[in-house]
Amino acid sequence: MSAQAAAAPPQDRLVTFFHYVIGCTPVLFIGGIIVWVAHLIRTSLRLHDVQSAAIGISLVAIPVFITLMSVLLYVLWGIIRAGREPS
Amino acid sequence: MALWGMVIDLDRCTGCESCVLACKAENNVPAVGATEAEKGRVLSWMEVLSERDEENGVTRFIPRPCMHCDDPPCTKVCPVYATYRNPQGIVAQIYGRCIGCRFCMAACPYNAKFFNWYPYQKEAPNQNPDVSLRPKGVVEKCTFCHHRLQKARENAAAEKREVAPGEYNTACAESCPAQAITFGDLSDPTSEVARLAKSPRAFRLEAALGTHPKVIYLTEGEGRG
Amino acid sequence: MAEFVMNPADEVLLDPIRKTGAGFWFALAGLLTMVGFGAVAYLTQFVNGLGATGLHEPVSWGFYVTNFVFFIGISHAGTLISAILRLSKAEWRRPVTRMAEVITCMVLLVGGGQILIDLGRPDRLLNVIQYGRYQSPLLWDATSISAYLTASTVYLYLPMIPDIAILRDRTTKYNFLYRVLALGWRGTQKQQKILNRAITIMMVVVIPIAVSVHTVVSFVFSMTLQPMWHSTIFGPYFVVGAIFSGIGALIIAMLIFRKAYKLESYLKPIHFQYLGQLLLVMSLLWFYFTFAEYLTAYYGGEPEEMKVFFSKFTGDFRWEFWSMVGCNFIIPMACLTSLKKNPIPRVLTASIFIVIGMWLERFIIVVPTLSNPRLPFRLGSYMPTWVEWGEFTGSLGVFALFYLLFTKFFPVISIWEIHEGRHEGVEEVMHRVKSYLPDDAEHAPPPQQQPVAIAAKAVVP
Repeated sequence: MSAQAAAAPPQDRLVTFFHYVIGCTPVLFIGGIIVWVAHLIRTSLRLHDVQSAAIGISLVAIPVFITLMSVLLYVLWGIIRAGREPS
Repeated sequence: MALWGMVIDLDRCTGCESCVLACKAENNVPAVGATEAEKGRVLSWMEVLSERDEENGVTRFIPRPCMHCDDPPCTKVCPVYATYRNPQGIVAQIYGRCIGCRFCMAACPYNAKFFNWYPYQKEAPNQNPDVSLRPKGVVEKCTFCHHRLQKARENAAAEKREVAPGEYNTACAESCPAQAITFGDLSDPTSEVARLAKSPRAFRLEAALGTHPKVIYLTEGEGRG
Repeated sequence: MAEFVMNPADEVLLDPIRKTGAGFWFALAGLLTMVGFGAVAYLTQFVNGLGATGLHEPVSWGFYVTNFVFFIGISHAGTLISAILRLSKAEWRRPVTRMAEVITCMVLLVGGGQILIDLGRPDRLLNVIQYGRYQSPLLWDATSISAYLTASTVYLYLPMIPDIAILRDRTTKYNFLYRVLALGWRGTQKQQKILNRAITIMMVVVIPIAVSVHTVVSFVFSMTLQPMWHSTIFGPYFVVGAIFSGIGALIIAMLIFRKAYKLESYLKPIHFQYLGQLLLVMSLLWFYFTFAEYLTAYYGGEPEEMKVFFSKFTGDFRWEFWSMVGCNFIIPMACLTSLKKNPIPRVLTASIFIVIGMWLERFIIVVPTLSNPRLPFRLGSYMPTWVEWGEFTGSLGVFALFYLLFTKFFPVISIWEIHEGRHEGVEEVMHRVKSYLPDDAEHAPPPQQQPVAIAAKAVVP
């Protein structure tokens, strides 16, 4: 990209802070969903109610969410880190 | 372990609907009013369905409570454990957990479930204190007068004995003037209900669906079609 | 690393962000009115109860569930089209992908919202989180739609990063927002490689997730024992219907913004011709599934199914049913079979009818089955009230509003992908086509020498 707009240092730090926040959202959001799915397995075990459904579905759902989280973490941190390197 | 069920003798049923009224009184089932009734929102845990048989010129009456199926299609689809089948065979409803998605209503092949479209129930005198009032937005249905079972159990426990046969009876069975409805423990071979359930006239509604309903009907006798 | 030099012609893609015309304010006013109407309708329902709708026993599901299926269906356009076109390296996708991806994200929010509106006790929504049962198809919906929302948001955001960087460098408006969202993008080779790898993984991962979404939505109906719901065809049927309605909605959105933002040189007739051909294929597929479904029911002749069947064909729902067939099959056949010259009016007509027809199709699936219970239950016809119409209007308004606001902050056509198409796409396609042809074609001697060469080959063993 051609010359970036010059910004005051405090703004720069705020932007950096938000970059880190964005980088953490996959863990919070998708991690939360994975914890929720695990909680539902536990509930079905506790209430003795169709455990097979909970376990079966989470065997598919959890890997999918882990994949999404991994891709997101890879790309977000990859771009942020590569952007900090002097080119 | 008891298995609570019901036998309804269609030969005896006159279509008088005493069972409907008794159920409403016993369970605080609200009257929704004329406007709502016209919109099709009458709450009727026990309902007498009628079918006109033109060929034989008769009208058939089928009192239909909740079937308390042994393989209930409604409990399968509830997303929040608000309806479930307890170990004694009663399909129960947890009003406090129901989110009002009405999936169980869509899944029930017998239309046995009803919804509180408005806050129909209000505090009023002469309501049965043993049965909780339902708020708006939740599903309700026949409970085989489960509160009476709880009372019978408590009495029996206080007197340090088992629940006697016949001690727990539903309001509809009690009130039927033709004694068409028999209620009891299907797993007790000596009970009246178990004996009637084995009658050659016995059939179940929508049996082919595999819901294993525990409300068993006895067909009308010969000569009635 | 190649310096990104923006083509001056592409500045028009940044105009909606830089400038706001009167048209925007009119559109905003109109959409806010629709949303306001919807809000009043929902508030009435929230305060008084679901009795404010036309729902009753036995028809306890009506507009809201229809809209739920409808809006989630439309979400299939975006990501599926974008992912499949990227996967198949179709070059004509370049101006289309951003708009498609935005549709998915926005309409998924609205679609998910429909179920919340349908609840008798929305205040108890957290019960689904705390006490969810995975045997219930509604929980499959919750999981699948969460996965799809996450995946499609990621799939929208990733290709947007280079564009946000362009905005960061070329505009001063909202600069802080762009600096944050651009993640420090500088277009270095390393960053490009990471982004491309991530987009490639996402475009493969998103397709099975998208297919699973509308399949589990169909399972809400097919897992019950009700006549004409308990059908094994529902999974694929719903997915096909979703892609069908989604492409129609996409075309309408594209044509609206083409006119409003003067994007005629980017969204050319050829794009609409190709989309129209896709629409034609989906119409035929939809008709095939519908035909198979109804023929099977009719041939079997099960009494309870035939009650529902005839209520659709000749009974209470015949207007909705035959309008659906007209909108989804007859009109698209008439419009879409000759698209060579001037495809845009035909494709637009077909799309509008298809979107209406697919809404009718959802309605025809939900309501007639509930209206014809197995037992001789009370009869009653479903008559939606102003609350349901208001909610429908409000939902459309919310969707369009989100979309419109998006276009005011981000370019609605992917600038860097157009740039890539201009500079690398043409050559890459040339190489690709050459690789399909037989290798000797490149080294073939001039025509007059050919016979001698062949004869010589024939002699050598």
